[in-house]
Amino acid sequence: MTTAHPGRPRRPFVPLPDETPTLSLGAAAPRRPHGARAAGAAVLGAILLGGLAAAALPLVVQDAYFLHSCIVVLFFAYMATAWNFVCGYVGQLSIGHAMFAGVGGYATVLLFTGLGLSPWLGMPVGGLLAALLSVVVGYPTFRLRGPYFALTTIAFAEMIRIWVENTDSVLGIPLNGAAGLTVPLRGESLAALQFNGKAPYYWVIVALLVGALAATWWLERSKLGFYLKAIRGDRDAAESLGISPARYQLVALAISAFMTGIGGGFYAQFFRYVNAERLIGVDLSIDMALMSIIGGQGTVFGPLLGAVLLAPLAEITRGSLGGSLLGLHIVVYGIILMLAVLYLPKGLIAPLRAVLARAGLGGGRR
Amino acid sequence: MSAPLLEVRGISKRFGGLQAVRDLSFRLEPGEILALLGPNGAGKTTAFNMIAGYTRADSGEILFRGRNIARLRPWDICRAGIARTFQLSKPFADLTVVENLMVGGFARSRDAHAIRDRAEAIADFLGMGRQAQTEVQHLTAFDRRKLELGRALSTEPTLLLMDEVVAGATPAEGQEMVALVRRIRDRGVTILIVEHVMKVIMALSERVIVMESGRLIADGAPRDVVTQPEVLKAYFGEHYAAARA
Repeated sequence: MTTAHPGRPRRPFVPLPDETPTLSLGAAAPRRPHGARAAGAAVLGAILLGGLAAAALPLVVQDAYFLHSCIVVLFFAYMATAWNFVCGYVGQLSIGHAMFAGVGGYATVLLFTGLGLSPWLGMPVGGLLAALLSVVVGYPTFRLRGPYFALTTIAFAEMIRIWVENTDSVLGIPLNGAAGLTVPLRGESLAALQFNGKAPYYWVIVALLVGALAATWWLERSKLGFYLKAIRGDRDAAESLGISPARYQLVALAISAFMTGIGGGFYAQFFRYVNAERLIGVDLSIDMALMSIIGGQGTVFGPLLGAVLLAPLAEITRGSLGGSLLGLHIVVYGIILMLAVLYLPKGLIAPLRAVLARAGLGGGRR
Repeated sequence: MSAPLLEVRGISKRFGGLQAVRDLSFRLEPGEILALLGPNGAGKTTAFNMIAGYTRADSGEILFRGRNIARLRPWDICRAGIARTFQLSKPFADLTVVENLMVGGFARSRDAHAIRDRAEAIADFLGMGRQAQTEVQHLTAFDRRKLELGRALSTEPTLLLMDEVVAGATPAEGQEMVALVRRIRDRGVTILIVEHVMKVIMALSERVIVMESGRLIADGAPRDVVTQPEVLKAYFGEHYAAARA
């Protein structure tokens, strides 16, 4: 880690009287290798290498159920990472992120059935629509301090869920109410993002997850990331440093909603089915939040870790109890959350980071 | 005399039934360290917050380099070149010292590496180079105060507003802080300081202004102002001033 360099010439850090403030940084600051830079590159390398390694899995394992389970875990990891992009870094709780998944999922399906638009395009369009919705939700609430954002997200998400569940069609667009929408079968078709095997879906979600992790890695070191962390630390102090909290929270929320919307589109393609309860319901929102918080919010890998631990757990509790105790996985989540808050308030990632830092990887802050 | 850096023209602020600041006007010349004094409740903090954009003036103008900033929000005032510290330091507790000092740099540059270099230079300037990678929650109260000052500097201000810099500091720490403030001024930053500790004011400022009940009651060199009857009355009451007269 870089601390003091007595021999290095230091440039003045406050403007001289005849300088305007913007000039004093100068155009060409001397570039030196930096401890933080090297650690950052190592993190990005780990994301890309991990993605490549994960992508090789279907070449080794062909068991369809196992691959299916992996896809579900990676889907949750992706969604939790998208949630973390705004909530983890700005310290605001969203319990309604599923509404963005819902917009993305429904848009992907409806654009395909209605206009014949390929899901490859439908997913980003759905993401954009989700980002648009996020601005509507975030604009009035980010101006306020306190729990209003959390309350507004849950209220909006539930309003949309209930509306979709009770609406068969709107403006000629079929929503099909509580029954939901199915994706018409096209057989093996790359353009329609439909495959007979599981492996292609697996590769798509690995690619999405790598993208989301890389975006979070970028955020960590970007102006936006510093601004979000400052708003989380102290809003008044952040304002005094040139930060408009509402503006930057809104930008981060829109990016997060975009990613979540794409995730909803993937969900629709993978299950070939969307309905309001599953995709817009509060369960998915809580899953995203809890996996992120328990794994370690405000870190690149925390949500991934949380999903890898919690998603199979939910699957196992559901599977082994065979529907006799519905919602037991929520009880298990609750117990784990309590233990995590008591013993690892920074998430399960915290002790891992400490080990990595001691191993000299310099990633103590990642 | 050149144009003032900051010119406050008749600003007022009322909170319900309380006229916190009434028709306050003063000027701040480039390169000056001006101290704002007054007993508790005189309206110093309200005036300070109006300049920093945290409280909106009911009326009046605040001209900074000739431009009225009275309607701007805090972040725009920062970008205009005014930085502030808080009376109770407000660090970003889970970030390191250098990360705290980097946040402000993004208001002036997009180059994260240059910003990190500058943040390290500021940490050295504060005498905190060895703590550069320490998370702020592990710092002492005085180091947090210094960091508060450094963080304001990271936005490259032309004018620095300081709210009670030595509050709670030991005499030795107070001296260190006074020396830091002087060095900041010597680098061309103009300073407006709200302070209670007379020793600090005598050591730092060439000129003081005194507020009482929202009004300006004195303006001049520290040694002259503290002997003015109005000032003595404001601080010690009617009888004290009368007895001395």
